[in-house]
Amino acid sequence: MFKPILAPLALAVGSLALAGTAQAEYPERNIQATIQWGAGGATDNVARSLTPHVEDILDTTLVLTNRAGGTGVIGMNHVMRQRPDGYNLLYGAENPLLYPLMGLADFTYDDMHTVNIIGQGLVVIAAPADSPYDNFSELLEHAQENPGELRMGGTGAGGLPSTVYAMINAVDELDVRTVTFGGDGPGITAMLGGHIDFMPLSLAAAGEQIRGGEMKGLAVLTTEEIDSLPEVPPITEALPDIESFLPWGPFWGVFVHEDTPDEAKATLESAYEEAVGREEFQEFLQNFGAEALNLNGEEAEQYLDNWQSVTAWAMYEADAGILEATPEELGIPRP
Amino acid sequence: MSDTFSYLLMAWLDPQLLLLTAVGTLAGIYVGAIPGLSVTMAASILISFTFSWDINNALALMVGIYVGGVYGGSRTAILLNIPGAPSAVTTAFDGYPLAQRGEAGRAIGLSTVMSVIGGLLGTLVLAGTAPYLADMALEFAPRDYFLIAVLGLLLVSTLSGKSLARGIFSVALGGIIGLVGMDMVTAQPRLTMGSMALMGGIHYVVVMIGLFGAAEAFYQLHNLNRVPVKQKVDKIIPPLKMVLKYLPLSVRTSIIGVVVGALPGTGGDIASLFAYDHAKRTVKNPSSPFGEGAYEGLVAPETANNAAVGGAYVPMLTLGMPGDAVTAVIIGALVIHGLNPGPMLMIETPHIFWFTVGNLALANLFLLLFGLTGIKVFSKVVEVPKALMIPLILVLCVVGTYSINSNMMEVYWMLGFGILGYWLKVFGFQMGPIILGVILGPLLDETYRQAMSSVGDDTGQFLLALVANPLSLVLTLVIVLVLLSQTPLKPWVKRRLSRQ
Repeated sequence: MFKPILAPLALAVGSLALAGTAQAEYPERNIQATIQWGAGGATDNVARSLTPHVEDILDTTLVLTNRAGGTGVIGMNHVMRQRPDGYNLLYGAENPLLYPLMGLADFTYDDMHTVNIIGQGLVVIAAPADSPYDNFSELLEHAQENPGELRMGGTGAGGLPSTVYAMINAVDELDVRTVTFGGDGPGITAMLGGHIDFMPLSLAAAGEQIRGGEMKGLAVLTTEEIDSLPEVPPITEALPDIESFLPWGPFWGVFVHEDTPDEAKATLESAYEEAVGREEFQEFLQNFGAEALNLNGEEAEQYLDNWQSVTAWAMYEADAGILEATPEELGIPRP
Repeated sequence: MSDTFSYLLMAWLDPQLLLLTAVGTLAGIYVGAIPGLSVTMAASILISFTFSWDINNALALMVGIYVGGVYGGSRTAILLNIPGAPSAVTTAFDGYPLAQRGEAGRAIGLSTVMSVIGGLLGTLVLAGTAPYLADMALEFAPRDYFLIAVLGLLLVSTLSGKSLARGIFSVALGGIIGLVGMDMVTAQPRLTMGSMALMGGIHYVVVMIGLFGAAEAFYQLHNLNRVPVKQKVDKIIPPLKMVLKYLPLSVRTSIIGVVVGALPGTGGDIASLFAYDHAKRTVKNPSSPFGEGAYEGLVAPETANNAAVGGAYVPMLTLGMPGDAVTAVIIGALVIHGLNPGPMLMIETPHIFWFTVGNLALANLFLLLFGLTGIKVFSKVVEVPKALMIPLILVLCVVGTYSINSNMMEVYWMLGFGILGYWLKVFGFQMGPIILGVILGPLLDETYRQAMSSVGDDTGQFLLALVANPLSLVLTLVIVLVLLSQTPLKPWVKRRLSRQ
């Protein structure tokens, strides 16, 4: 018996609310931001240090929630299923670009709108402090004389070490035992105890250990030496051909639903551009072993496309067997 | 030296830091007491909250939350048979029977004093031996973690109550639940039945809340008309004689706690299981039989899980590697505040180390203060009519589960596990072994595969490694000894020997 009264009432309230959103300036309430990885991880650290600046610029509160699981599938899926009103953001890392390739999900960042590509982590190939190798060439030489003997730390299919391993194998030959860990942290712990021989790591995770003399940097995944790790040679010294894949690294970005109103997209883009550009955040990124990118619009799309094509083809050329689909089938062009 | 002292006492002398530590500890007790609200979650929320603060203030608050939270889990374990956190699972074994005997106040009092003793001993070990303990922890290779997990499996005999067969079944069930999700090496979905929602696996706190919280609430429906036990609230603070009596045991279980806590792959949950097992094996005449309200069964896990806090800080402060999930979040906080957690932390910023040590000690004193006040009110919880308590517990279970990942699907899972747990209880199964399986299943899977791939997937090499390294050899021998003492082999060997 309540139905006849309630239905028009609900409609009236609903249209009022709609009228409200049309007139008031975005953002007029709290924004929900989902972090695709767990608390304490790199994506979490970046999101939590950037967000206060964005809150300051937008003069609203961003409610951060970690929705980890399934290599980030769970968190991204959640944001894609929310209303496209600009009040649901995703803080994500590089993984979604590989979902279709790995058979994890049928969506990528192509199905969302990129607000900002915040920055990119540098990658270093590290070894224990007492390792007999001083640079990557020496390690490569030993590995080629004794195939399948060295132990490399990994983080599973699609993880950073497996991608770097794939790139190396796309231009040269490296045959090692892969020991899989739950992440960079457990891998470094195993390396400090001498239980693995080397591991490609993000500089954010490994930098302090290398500077503290607990680990040795064999190569950085760049074409030139970097300021924060002088004396560690660029990987191109050992493998000149790998240059075609560079620059490459894990990255972090902010995304919204594709159908978000243009006004909200523009507000978010300019807010994030300003926030990432702030000196305090730039200092954090540098301290964190990352380089700022601060890309949006066309540039961001280009960056994502390039990253996807480099990674997908490197993985395909190294070992097509682990992939669920070829890059060709997915329409990913060769780098 | 004078510098060290001033860092050590910093939190004690600065009124602001003193207050923040106190607030953190008090908040931690309540966060810890609610199943599903975890210390990890609270600490990570605090990162954005304390973004603009001074680093010492932020650290003081987090230390308080951490110490209070680990202790808080025991409150609901004793009063309602619902552990607030995985590290309090064993506390319920003897804590709840005590509350049912009208000794909830005594149980909480004892658990408070023992938590503080464990916490202080853990802090002492951190202060005195951190660099050595960290070096020792690094020696543990994947195969050693595998052996620890195997040793953990043998705890099933301690946890399964009357029927070992049911216990083994439960551990296996837990192990299978723990393996659901993406394979860590190949990223292939495992036991997900094609469901995207299961890709991330089943969070073990969801299983815990379902099996302990919801299942307990359902089971209590059987006793709706039972008059609640009148609680004795006169003897709450345990007499000195009692504390002294349990001191040797609490020192031993604290050492178990701090060592297991310092290992980067294991934390307070596994520490408290080992400690309970240790108490059950070594205490010949407990105050009541274990599982029926033995004080010793309360002393062991409570000292161990709080000592594990000090342990978890060891690799964090000396190497910049987290000892558990909470210290991982605190490392994140240090990075955000512009510090570089790593091997240089103790050299470049020694004040962080001594400040943390002093702060941990302070938080433990606040724990004693807050833990021993308000017990009278708390123990009345047991006297609340079931008709009020059961719906309240279910609401807390739902809220707690939802807050883990803000995922409604996990709430359904929790309820499903509640129903499963209810039937298992009806048929005399224990919940402890299932949680044991959920914790150890993934650890066994991960470490076995790491150990195997380290030796090039060669089984012979793997078995050789288990006895060829001193540390692995010790662990292997312990396993063999435990097996011999638990199985019919022991009486058989004894008979043979006595015949000769």
